[in-house]
Amino acid sequence: MAVDITLLFKASVKTVKTRNKAIGIGFDSTKDEIFKRSRPKSGFSPKAKEVITNITKLKDFLLQHRKDYVSAGSLISSDLTRMTDNERDQIDQDAQIFMRTCSEAIKQLRNEAVKQVTSAQVKEHRGAVLDLIEIYLRGVCKLYSEQRAIRVKRMVDKKRLVSEVPNNPVNLWEEGRVEDELSPEEIQMFEQENQRLVSEMNSLVDEVRQIEGKVVEISRLQEIFAEKVLQQETEIDSIHQLVVGATENVKEGNEDIREAIKNNAGFRVWILFFLVMCSFSLLFLDWYDS
Amino acid sequence: MAASVREKQTVALKRMLNFNAPPLKNAAAEPVWKVLIYDRFGQDIISPLLSVKELRDMGITLHLLLHSDRDPIPDVPAVYFVMPTEENIDRICQDLRNQLYESYYLNFISAISRSKLEDIASAALAANAVTQVTKVYDQYLNFITLEDDMFTLCHQNKELISYHAINRADIQDTEMEAIMDTVVDSLFCFFVTLGAVPIIRCPRGNAAEMVAVKLDKKLRENLRDARNSLFTGDNMAAGQFSFQRPLFVLVDRNVDMATPLHHTWTYQALIHDVLDLQLNRVVMEEGAGADPSPTGARPKKKIRKTYDLTAADKFWQKHKGSPFPEVAESVQEELDSYRAQEDEVKHLKSIMGLEGEDDGAISMLSDNTAKLTSAVSSLPELLEKKRLIDLHTNVATAVLDHIKSRKLDVYFEYEEKLMSKSTLDKSLLDIISDPDAGTPEDKMRLFLIYYITAQQAPSESDLEQYKTALLDAGCDLSPLNYIKQWKAFTKMAATPANYGNSGVKPMGLFSRVMNSGSQFVMEGVKNLVLKQHNLPVTRILDNLMEMKSNPETDDYRYFDPKMLRGSESSIPRNKNPFQEAIVFVVGGGNYIEYQNLVDYAKFKQGKKVVYGCSELSNAAQFTKQLSQLGQK
Repeated sequence: MAVDITLLFKASVKTVKTRNKAIGIGFDSTKDEIFKRSRPKSGFSPKAKEVITNITKLKDFLLQHRKDYVSAGSLISSDLTRMTDNERDQIDQDAQIFMRTCSEAIKQLRNEAVKQVTSAQVKEHRGAVLDLIEIYLRGVCKLYSEQRAIRVKRMVDKKRLVSEVPNNPVNLWEEGRVEDELSPEEIQMFEQENQRLVSEMNSLVDEVRQIEGKVVEISRLQEIFAEKVLQQETEIDSIHQLVVGATENVKEGNEDIREAIKNNAGFRVWILFFLVMCSFSLLFLDWYDS
Repeated sequence: MAASVREKQTVALKRMLNFNAPPLKNAAAEPVWKVLIYDRFGQDIISPLLSVKELRDMGITLHLLLHSDRDPIPDVPAVYFVMPTEENIDRICQDLRNQLYESYYLNFISAISRSKLEDIASAALAANAVTQVTKVYDQYLNFITLEDDMFTLCHQNKELISYHAINRADIQDTEMEAIMDTVVDSLFCFFVTLGAVPIIRCPRGNAAEMVAVKLDKKLRENLRDARNSLFTGDNMAAGQFSFQRPLFVLVDRNVDMATPLHHTWTYQALIHDVLDLQLNRVVMEEGAGADPSPTGARPKKKIRKTYDLTAADKFWQKHKGSPFPEVAESVQEELDSYRAQEDEVKHLKSIMGLEGEDDGAISMLSDNTAKLTSAVSSLPELLEKKRLIDLHTNVATAVLDHIKSRKLDVYFEYEEKLMSKSTLDKSLLDIISDPDAGTPEDKMRLFLIYYITAQQAPSESDLEQYKTALLDAGCDLSPLNYIKQWKAFTKMAATPANYGNSGVKPMGLFSRVMNSGSQFVMEGVKNLVLKQHNLPVTRILDNLMEMKSNPETDDYRYFDPKMLRGSESSIPRNKNPFQEAIVFVVGGGNYIEYQNLVDYAKFKQGKKVVYGCSELSNAAQFTKQLSQLGQK
């Protein structure tokens, strides 16, 4: 169990102060404090803190209106807390713009940090700070996308209910109008055809709904794949560089080997010539002597 | 102990990293960034418990050693986790003078003295940084927890409190006092973190007794001091549902000298013995080509690989204590199941390919997207599983190579027979003179175990024979001198330790044929099955926990820090058997004893046993210490 000895520390500070006063060592504490106040106002840290406060504002805003946003009583209740679809769209738009600006700000900060000439530790620290902010932003975006997914699902369900209900009244009304002009068999035929059309429409609507759900899933998978592909892109780039370098090296090596073979051959020719010359000169000297 | 020691220590560390406030449960909380500064002791404590990723999640952007060159990072709070030694205090004062960080949260691993606190205070005054020092804490975390139920005292300077340091012939009283103080300080921190005051039992007449006396005194002083007692308040309320106090058994290494030298057969102990395992991290060299290539090309460079064996690794947790052949089989099983899952995912790919050509396949689409989603979401798990399987395959293969080259199974079997005093089928001289069975160190270990466990010392001529054989094999005989001294000493004191009925049963040919399909070709390596047996430490614990009467343990001293008057009697006041126990070995421990205690705890339902030692040494290090002692 940890023990808080901050008070003990403060007491020691007082003891040391009184001791120093007794000995006569004084410190100009006030002057230095004024100097300390004038720290740089603009810098990496305040900007990063600003981005965080913005994201927190967005988070609070989303959480505040979450209940209204997701409220289910669109057809039944008539409370004041009910939101119109327009308001919901407005919230969506605002949130998206906000998130985009935040991620832009993070990117900007990252570029600045890279450009600035600072020590390796400070660079690492800033990189890690930006990573933390990004994770925070992603968490808040997840909140938003969850809300939005619920809302989209609700809308799709609503549309399905609404589309099925007016079908029957329309049929009856049409039938009633044409009844005077058509015979009973034709009425029956039309009825049958109507039934068939209705069932066809329903099955189509079912399929469309299923496909919509699957498309949402596919888009999620697509996001994951895109992330992985982007990761692999950098690795493939580096491999490409290495391969290009390797082919160049191999080409140069081939050239060098060719040169060496040529030199070897040329060298051999010279040696042969030299030996032949030597033997001719020997023969000549021998002939000259005798 | 509702929560294990490891969890308690982790929780304490996380609190400290959260500026000593309880961590919030809110997932999407604002990130607060900080810098962590530690010294080598702090590093040893934190590294088995928290990974770098977890540190990042807690908002630590940089983690640096105290004595490295650090650049000023203004506007960032810094959390210090250091021991209160002179150099550390000086460095902290220097940091304060250089105004490296915005605010300072100082956490000392064990309690800091008043004078050193005043040093920091004066440095802070001089640097005008008193307001920057926001909090100062004594963390009382001066021990390293390696497993849920195992801890050790220190790793950095373990030569200072090793067996050699304690049992040296030329040790001064002051040095002994210093060593005892270090050990007692760490044990005190351990009990503060645990939040319980134990009942202490220890044997008479050795280092363990000294430690027990000091610890009892320290605990008693702390309990009396009602204002600053560390054992009251929310300490007890937090999850302390056991009404019984734990039993703390202190033993000295001298009670059992054979176990540290023993060749072992369980997975974790083998890795510690054969490879380089420190603080749950294995460092191996890989990729060395056995035969040089014929064209004279440069041989493949050895790559050093580091593996972390963590609590999250399910395979490791399950098979830490299994005998090695079982581990080999299980790795094979895991590999097969992983391949099956991988094939499923690949099969999916081919299905998708086929369906793409078929136009009217909307009804099949739903099934496939669901399958695809589940496959993609299970991919990270699969990758993690593959990584773990690779890790264990590499580690197990390395261990197996060592076993085959040094014939460790033969040694293990022989030593088990020696320790259980059953009949020996091969003579000791044969094994020692066998040129390709093990390194000289292995032979020395075997001979030392023989010497320790022999009822009467071997005759002079036999001894000379053995000595010449050992010298031929290239062993260093100095440990033998020390063991002779030790044996003479303990013979005076008590009966020699009895290692209990152990038995090693080699599995028959049938099972060997069955295992031949496994990737780990265990031909020529006997498939040995361990029978349940108890090492001396386990037996001592059993006697004390169950309040059994046994001539060995009856003479143990009894300390109860909560009693008003320290009684010198060794009659325990508590007659009920204990449910929780902590065993601590002064002078060095090892994984073999730990595994034995774990097995014992599993055997006795409902008892919790924690194993601690002043330092962890494997057989090689222990033999080196013995040879140093023997050379004096």
